[in-house]
Amino acid sequence: MERGCEFGMPGQEQLQKEVMDRDLCSSCGICVGLCPYIKTVRDRVKVIYPCGHEDGTCYMVCPKTPTNIGNMDRAVFGREREDQALGLFSGIYYARALTGKPGGAQYGGAASALTGLALREGLISSAVLTGGDIKSPRPVLARDADTVARCAGSKYTGVPSLLELNRAIRDGLTDIGVVGRPCQVVAVRKSQQGNLPGPQYPSSSGIGLVLGLFCFWSLAPELYGFLQLETGGEEIVKMDIPVEGPVAYTRAGKYSWQLEDIRTFIKKSCNTCFDSTSEYADISVGSTEHDPVWNTLIIRTGKGLDIFNLALQKGVIEIREYPPERLPLLRRAALGKKMRVLSLLEKDLGNTGYITLPEKYRRDLETQWGGINQ
Amino acid sequence: MSLAGVCQEKAGVKVALTGNEAIARGALEAGVAYAASYPGSPTAEVLGTLSRVAKQFNLYAEWSVNEKVAMEGVAAASFAGLRSLVVMKADGLNVALDFAGALAISGCRGGMVMVLGDDPNAHSSVREEDSRNLCKAKHLPVLEPSSVREAMEMTREAFALSEELELPVVVRCVTRVCHASGDVELGELVRPERKPDFTRENRVITFGIKLHAGQESKLARAAHLVCDSAFNSYTGPENPERLVIASGPCYMYAQEALEMLGAGGTTGILKLGTTWPLPEALLLEHMERVPEVIFAEEVEPFVEDNVMALAAGCLPGKVRFYGKRSGHVAGPAGPGIGELDPDVLAASLGNILGINYSPGTIDNKQEALSLLEDKMPDRELAFCAGCPHRASFWAVRAALELDGRGGIVLGDIGCYTLGMARTGYYLLQTVHCMGAGIGLAGGMGNLSRFGFDKPVVTLVGDSTFYHAAIPALINARYHNSNFMCIILDNETTAMTGHQPHPGRQHTAMGEPAHTVPMEDIIRGVGMPYIVQDPYDVEASIEVIYDLLRQEGPRVLILRRSCVLAAVRGKQKDRVYVNEDKCIGDSCGCGRFCSRVFACPANVWDAEKGRARIDEAVCNGCGVCASLCPQGAIMVERGV
Ligand SMILES: Cc1cc2nc3c(=O)[nH]c(=O)nc-3n(C[C@H](O)[C@H](O)[C@H](O)COP(=O)(O)OP(=O)(O)OC[C@H]3O[C@@H](n4cnc5c(N)ncnc54)[C@H](O)[C@@H]3O)c2cc1C
Ligand code: SF4
Ligand code: SF4
Repeated sequence: MERGCEFGMPGQEQLQKEVMDRDLCSSCGICVGLCPYIKTVRDRVKVIYPCGHEDGTCYMVCPKTPTNIGNMDRAVFGREREDQALGLFSGIYYARALTGKPGGAQYGGAASALTGLALREGLISSAVLTGGDIKSPRPVLARDADTVARCAGSKYTGVPSLLELNRAIRDGLTDIGVVGRPCQVVAVRKSQQGNLPGPQYPSSSGIGLVLGLFCFWSLAPELYGFLQLETGGEEIVKMDIPVEGPVAYTRAGKYSWQLEDIRTFIKKSCNTCFDSTSEYADISVGSTEHDPVWNTLIIRTGKGLDIFNLALQKGVIEIREYPPERLPLLRRAALGKKMRVLSLLEKDLGNTGYITLPEKYRRDLETQWGGINQ
Repeated sequence: MSLAGVCQEKAGVKVALTGNEAIARGALEAGVAYAASYPGSPTAEVLGTLSRVAKQFNLYAEWSVNEKVAMEGVAAASFAGLRSLVVMKADGLNVALDFAGALAISGCRGGMVMVLGDDPNAHSSVREEDSRNLCKAKHLPVLEPSSVREAMEMTREAFALSEELELPVVVRCVTRVCHASGDVELGELVRPERKPDFTRENRVITFGIKLHAGQESKLARAAHLVCDSAFNSYTGPENPERLVIASGPCYMYAQEALEMLGAGGTTGILKLGTTWPLPEALLLEHMERVPEVIFAEEVEPFVEDNVMALAAGCLPGKVRFYGKRSGHVAGPAGPGIGELDPDVLAASLGNILGINYSPGTIDNKQEALSLLEDKMPDRELAFCAGCPHRASFWAVRAALELDGRGGIVLGDIGCYTLGMARTGYYLLQTVHCMGAGIGLAGGMGNLSRFGFDKPVVTLVGDSTFYHAAIPALINARYHNSNFMCIILDNETTAMTGHQPHPGRQHTAMGEPAHTVPMEDIIRGVGMPYIVQDPYDVEASIEVIYDLLRQEGPRVLILRRSCVLAAVRGKQKDRVYVNEDKCIGDSCGCGRFCSRVFACPANVWDAEKGRARIDEAVCNGCGVCASLCPQGAIMVERGV
């Protein structure tokens, strides 16, 4: 089918070749629902029919197509980064929800508390979340605080929840909030910068707030079969993957494993993911790696700072100083991941693949890694 | 074309009937008591007609689960002394053949007629078959009507012949006769008393070689009898230079062809209405007088081969034969393939006679075709608008792509056979015969021991499921074959005109049935199953995907009534395109509804660059609306 080149970029065919066929898709979901040809079930995202276009939006917004880290920094923050580990931010704290902490919150419940606040205050019209239970997670568009609370807790598989963002935009919503993994945050930012034609695409007015999670990898759904065997079929109500290794809680008790036991379930795409702290979010939320009732909070953008202040003012969250002795640990984890990714990509491809790293970034990265590794 | 004509009490009047109605009338005039069939084109309307007049004529008519069962039921009535009729298409004889062969050995009592619908050119069949060779192999006599009138008369007379021979008699009727319509002069309707008579004394056994000898002698008697049959006749000059031996509608074609060639004065036609066994004496008598014989028959050279064999024995070297074997009588696809017609026959005869035949009508034909082309919308063979199969095929395709392991899809026989073409997204990879998909899937599903790792899916319709799928399903369960069977349940035998099947609430005669739900069967076989509405495409995709990832034999029933049955007599939902929302060809759609999903009612308005719904064609299912990425297709619920 001969069709004109609308955006002057590759499209579905390239997305399939470069991302999906090479198992680099992280199931972010941003390409699902943009058109009728890319569909999802569980964590699978696939082209089910050729769209016939040579170029396309899907390729442009996918977080796993060529991404220039320097350009992303400039587009989101207006400047380049100094810290190659954590990216640009204005503050880092320990935090936890004071009011409205959902029972199922993963740690301190900050992600849910901030989302709930933004909804109540009308800063966002709705929020793209990941609900369902651990074994059958599903994308959810929350329009009220109750739904936000029900979506609390981490599901460790790649859920393509951004399909809800596309649906919400198509339904005419603006100021939509997103809670997502780092790849999802990149996807949302890419689509905001796209200046994509037509009302069906995300635009700057479409997105109200982006809360990014820390994430070092997600897992394939086959994990559930493994867990189910291990727990003898008991229902798993919560999962966590602290440094000591994964744990699953059933109503009867706790099961734990070594990280090695589940390594085969790590999604291949996650091994080449450059961002573990959602560097382009308004606020990033993670664990503290030692205190399960607190979160780590990284305030990144002006918008992030505003909602952070509002949350403090309203008594929605409380904060503590981020222990200075722990910062190097976090930075080392983030830098270490980047170094591993680069060496893996370079070993496989002879170049850095989809990641375009400005020369200065590369030099800084090596220096900072060298520094922190001593 | 009227039921009233079929039931007309007054003998001697002329009414217009279709070939199938004429067969039904012939059976009524013979006092048929028991009729059974499995629906199949071209003969589906025979039992349809009889079932509608069943009460009036105190006869029993049933749509059987398959042709073998139909033939067995009919034979039982014959054993009890009743006149009985079984109807099937050529493919059905293959299903019933095991019993047919046995029955030909044991013979029958009450007149029993088998109407076989052959479909030269495979107009409404997956393949072209000539059932006469099978009839010969099974020692069954065959009659072949050349016209609607003869269809009636032969059916009627076949009952008497059957009683005379104590052997079932076949009436082989081709599509052009079944579906033609013509005037017939009606005979007397009879309503004999139905008194089944079968006691402990009766024995109908097929055992031992002695019975074979009996069969041969029955056939020898038949060959003798048919020499005097009025269904065989000669027309033409007293001392012809050559003879055309024609059977079925080729008799009419031969008459026309000779007229077109102006060769009627030198060439005679021997119409053979009884094609097996051959009326040998009659044939020899005619052939002795001519040096050349030409054969006109459809499809295979059946009469030709047998007559040549006869001549080789009795008139060695005396006659020159022209036909399919010599390559002289052939349609565009070659000798022995496809239908003949007057043009084809005229060209063949012209060639043999050395008459230059330029088909003057051909130009007119071309002209007519090109005129029609302008009027006829350019439509490829496709599922009807709103057909649930389209939604099912789309969901299967999506699930297979999502699964990504290159799943194999095996097909079966029914409307959904079209799924091998674009309308089914080219999904089907095998199409053979009723129920074969499940048997094949069982085999493929056993290959994992050799490292075959692709998921196997087989699609089968509801009627086909009851007809032929169940033994294969049991086999699969027994051996734990690894495949997924999807039953496309549109709650009817849609392809042949919505005949009921064991899953329905009514019988052919409209009586309440003891329904046999397919779920009960599947459960009984011990297979897990899920029921899903294919119109909910998203949910179907998810269900299929999850089932693909399971092991062992498993069933999914995609259930939704055939849209043609569903909308009958109801106001359809109105479906239309919101042109402001439709983004047409651009990224984000790319004309999905008209280009890819391709319901015949999804059309592309090239001028506006927008999709449109052809409301005259649309059946209001709303599936396209649920798939439109822009929500641009609107559904207004009918009241
Ligand atoms: C796959 C995955 C891997 C992670 N790995 C790490 C890690 O290595 N180190 C670390 O410090 N933190 C990690 N996290 C983040 C951590 O688990 C918590 O989600 C985060 O600290 C917020 O905690 P909370 O108590 O505020 O969460 P809650 O208040 O319970 O809110 C959790 C939020 O996460 C969203 N969510 C749940 N599952 C998913 C998912 N699969 N994809 C997108 N969004 C989801 C929910 O919508 C909800 O809004 C990971 C999270 C995920 C989903
Ligand atoms: S990473 Fe996201 S955008 Fe890219 S192919 Fe996967 S789901 Fe689509
Ligand atoms: S609603 Fe859509 S899919 Fe259904 S019949 Fe009409 S045009 Fe076809």
